[in-house]
Amino acid sequence: MTKTQAVVIGGGATGAGILRDLAMRGVKAVLIERRDLANGTSSRFHGLLHSGGRYAVKDPESAAECVAENAVLRRIARQCVEDTEGLFVRLPEDDAAFETEWLAACRALGLPAAPLPPAEALRLEPGLTPRLAAAYRVPDAAIDGFRLCWQNVASAVRHGGELRTYTEVVAIERAGGRVAGVVVRDAVSGATSTIACDLVINAAGSWVGEVAALAGAAVDVEPDRGTLIAFNHRFAGRVVNRLRPPADGDIFVPHGSVVIFGTTSAAADNPDDTAPRGEEVNALLRLGEPLFPDLPRYRILRAFAGTRPLYTGGHGAAGRAASRTFAVLDHSREGVHGLISVVGGKLTTYRLMAEKTVDLACGKLGIAVPCRTAAEPLAAGPAPGLLAAARKYFPAGGAELAAARLGDAFGAVVGRLGDDPANAALICECERVTLGEIKEVAACATTHGLGDIRRRTRLGMGTCQGAYCGFRGVAAVCAAGLADKPAAGLLGDFLEERWAGVRPVLWGTQLREQELLRGIYGASLNIDGAMNDEQL
Amino acid sequence: MNKNCCDIDACTACSTCAALCPVAAAVREFPGPKLAGPAAERFRRAGARDDAALAYCTNCKTCEITCPSGVPVAAINMRARAEHQKKHGRKLRDWLLAHGEHMAKLALPAQPLADLGMDNPVTRQVLKAIGIAAGRPLPKYARRSFLRQFGKLRQQPCADKIVFFPGCFTNYNAPEVGLDLVAVLQANGHEVVVPKGLNCCGLPLVTGGYLEEAEAAAKRNIAVLAPYAAAGVPILAACPSCGLMLKQDYRELFAADGAAEVAAKTYDAMEFLLELRDAGRLNTAFKPGKARYLYHAPCHLRAQGIGRPTLELIGALPGVTVADLDAGCCGIAGSYGFKDDRYEISMAIGQELFARIKAEQADAVLTDCGTCRLQIAHGTGAKALHPVSVLRKAYEPAYKL
Ligand SMILES: Cc1cc2nc3c(=O)[nH]c(=O)nc-3n(C[C@H](O)[C@H](O)[C@H](O)COP(=O)(O)OP(=O)(O)OC[C@H]3O[C@@H](n4cnc5c(N)ncnc54)[C@H](O)[C@@H]3O)c2cc1C
Repeated sequence: MTKTQAVVIGGGATGAGILRDLAMRGVKAVLIERRDLANGTSSRFHGLLHSGGRYAVKDPESAAECVAENAVLRRIARQCVEDTEGLFVRLPEDDAAFETEWLAACRALGLPAAPLPPAEALRLEPGLTPRLAAAYRVPDAAIDGFRLCWQNVASAVRHGGELRTYTEVVAIERAGGRVAGVVVRDAVSGATSTIACDLVINAAGSWVGEVAALAGAAVDVEPDRGTLIAFNHRFAGRVVNRLRPPADGDIFVPHGSVVIFGTTSAAADNPDDTAPRGEEVNALLRLGEPLFPDLPRYRILRAFAGTRPLYTGGHGAAGRAASRTFAVLDHSREGVHGLISVVGGKLTTYRLMAEKTVDLACGKLGIAVPCRTAAEPLAAGPAPGLLAAARKYFPAGGAELAAARLGDAFGAVVGRLGDDPANAALICECERVTLGEIKEVAACATTHGLGDIRRRTRLGMGTCQGAYCGFRGVAAVCAAGLADKPAAGLLGDFLEERWAGVRPVLWGTQLREQELLRGIYGASLNIDGAMNDEQL
Repeated sequence: MNKNCCDIDACTACSTCAALCPVAAAVREFPGPKLAGPAAERFRRAGARDDAALAYCTNCKTCEITCPSGVPVAAINMRARAEHQKKHGRKLRDWLLAHGEHMAKLALPAQPLADLGMDNPVTRQVLKAIGIAAGRPLPKYARRSFLRQFGKLRQQPCADKIVFFPGCFTNYNAPEVGLDLVAVLQANGHEVVVPKGLNCCGLPLVTGGYLEEAEAAAKRNIAVLAPYAAAGVPILAACPSCGLMLKQDYRELFAADGAAEVAAKTYDAMEFLLELRDAGRLNTAFKPGKARYLYHAPCHLRAQGIGRPTLELIGALPGVTVADLDAGCCGIAGSYGFKDDRYEISMAIGQELFARIKAEQADAVLTDCGTCRLQIAHGTGAKALHPVSVLRKAYEPAYKL
């Protein structure tokens, strides 16, 4: 049996942030995640680093948190944030009185909202409707959830923290009203083991209720489903919000090579209720068209859904009306000592959530070290000269992308490309992922499948959605002796995962793409064995 | 500029263009049309500035011909190249090559200079210094331009008119092609009009990255041609590149008024003659001959999607046979093959074509494009002619102008 001071449950942004904060304050801690890091809501989200504008009127408390954390994350998470800036755009049919109210609320928050003449807004964003009535610039930005989680964990590991992925907490052990440890099951081997600890920190996002129940405690959380659409190209260069009370389908976020548009809000059956539906996509497209008239003509890559961990304790409000602030719950109130849950909030405020949670944890552990997570950057960023050297090896434009994606692992990948030029081959041409990156990530102990490589490199997240990079990726991993599953299994898992997002958007070019993919895998590679009986 | 040009969404990443790109096959540094084009475009819109490789693209349009999804790959690349050059500056040489029409206008009145051609030792030194390939023979300027000679022609008046768009190469370097076309059309009951005010089609400006100037050139041409198109007068180009600009690129790159109408009435010269034949209107009083020709279909002719009219027309001449070389791009790509840093690539691309020509016995190689003819002559020593010149010969002496 292993022993540690604190077990953190949930490898989303919140849990990763907590692990880092604990480690930086010198607390021995293990982060337990049932699947891969950032497989929950921290990747099934909109990718918006909120300026606070969206919540300024209805939810000023959450808005104020966003204003502060937006500034912090730009500093500490530079490689995860793309400073796109954002626009709030009012259309003639939207209530002009809300604009006035919104401006006043922004002023009260100290949130800069600079008016932009409509003609200028159109020049900056030519895809916008020429009908727009008013526009404002705000410091919205895009933030990458995958990188954020991995870079938090990498920083935590440098400070002595530990990560275990593909490990599920199946029981929380108690002794005399106190938690004593957790029972975990290795998702790969199926083996269970126990980790003894003084504290359990429950950061399981939408699953926070289920995890608390393992210790006989309760959390008022209502998973709220939101669906998003990823488009093939960046038809907007800035975040575009519709200037009206928050509703469905009113935010566009440019993200790397794509634009993500959404979202919806509806009570989820359960936290895993994340299969996107065709009707949601259609409803979103109708809602977005007034802002971007060509929206129905832009190619959709896929749809995806996540569940918001909305905290309803005390307020009773649900859905869009529920506050986006968070709560740190000390379950000793219910007689479960040593269990802390954190619930609600936004990805934008993950660091603040972690800070408040760890403040409480340290109080319990009798540790008086102050939080430093707002001051120290997550990753050092590529050393001067490294990027310049990398440009020699990487195919066009790949160096910058890889540096931002890989964080601290970038140096090792540059080394791989320098050692063997064959490692510069693009395995994923759509997202420009090199063989060297695939090998580097495949070699990590945390990698079990192509999906894990995808979350760290963006393999398969571009135009072809796996049609080409799927078999190339599997071949690369197997050839390097890094697969821990047979090739057919790796391929099947990867394609199923891609298919889940493509299924609700099967029309136009995406349908043609899928037919091509089916031809490649079904006919040429015969992965489902349909041609086994054919005599050659 | 056409706001809707260069839609990348139809690309399925199938890589057919990459497999068939003659440049990618010849030079490793070019990542191929898909990666440089639609795939890179997704990152250009995210701020990537790594388009140096675009300079390798010849704009031969093989990618557009092969694309099963109709992606304007070459147009995407030309646009991105123009943006890249705006930011990173251009060479004097590239300005000169893009502005060949200016150069010709300067050189032509100075007759002794034009006579000397550009191939004299002094000019060559200067050209070498600015980056023109030393090994590349330069085309001579004609003593009298096509337009000057055409102005002196007395045509038989006919009810059927056609507009001829001569283009720079025919006008300044190969006026005989234009004159041969006029003779052939006269033999077929058509009177040729060359309206005043036409200028370069703008293709060298497009490939050189001067899109604004190209657009201005296009708009001037459209303004001159649109009334003829509206009146139903066919517009002919003997140069496939000029023809492709009028038919496709004006519409695709520049959303100019009248571009679609002009495009609808534009024909390649041989395409038009084949249509006459199909309508039973071609004068077939050809005198018997005895010749074997090889035919090279220029990329920009193939991009027009009109088949290979020359094979049918020349193949039907009594005593004449013509064989399709079917060996891809010749490699010169207009001004591309004149650049010292592109010359080797240009010759490498043409290897297959050169080898086929050398392996065959023939009286001449026929090809519609002027710079293809230069490349073929340079790469093989073979005589290269525009097919219309062969047709004219077949009508002689009855229709000598
Ligand atoms: C549609 C949508 C759009 C959003 N857009 C934005 C936005 O643009 N900007 C923004 O700031 N916020 C946004 N949010 C909110 C934000 O994404 C979430 O608040 C945040 O990602 C939650 O992170 P988390 O770490 O708390 O939860 P999660 O990321 O869900 O992490 C919880 C983890 O716990 C793991 N887990 C569960 N049970 C167990 C167990 N028993 N053992 C081990 N591990 C377990 C899960 O696998 C999961 O990985 C959006 C949310 C949704 C749904």
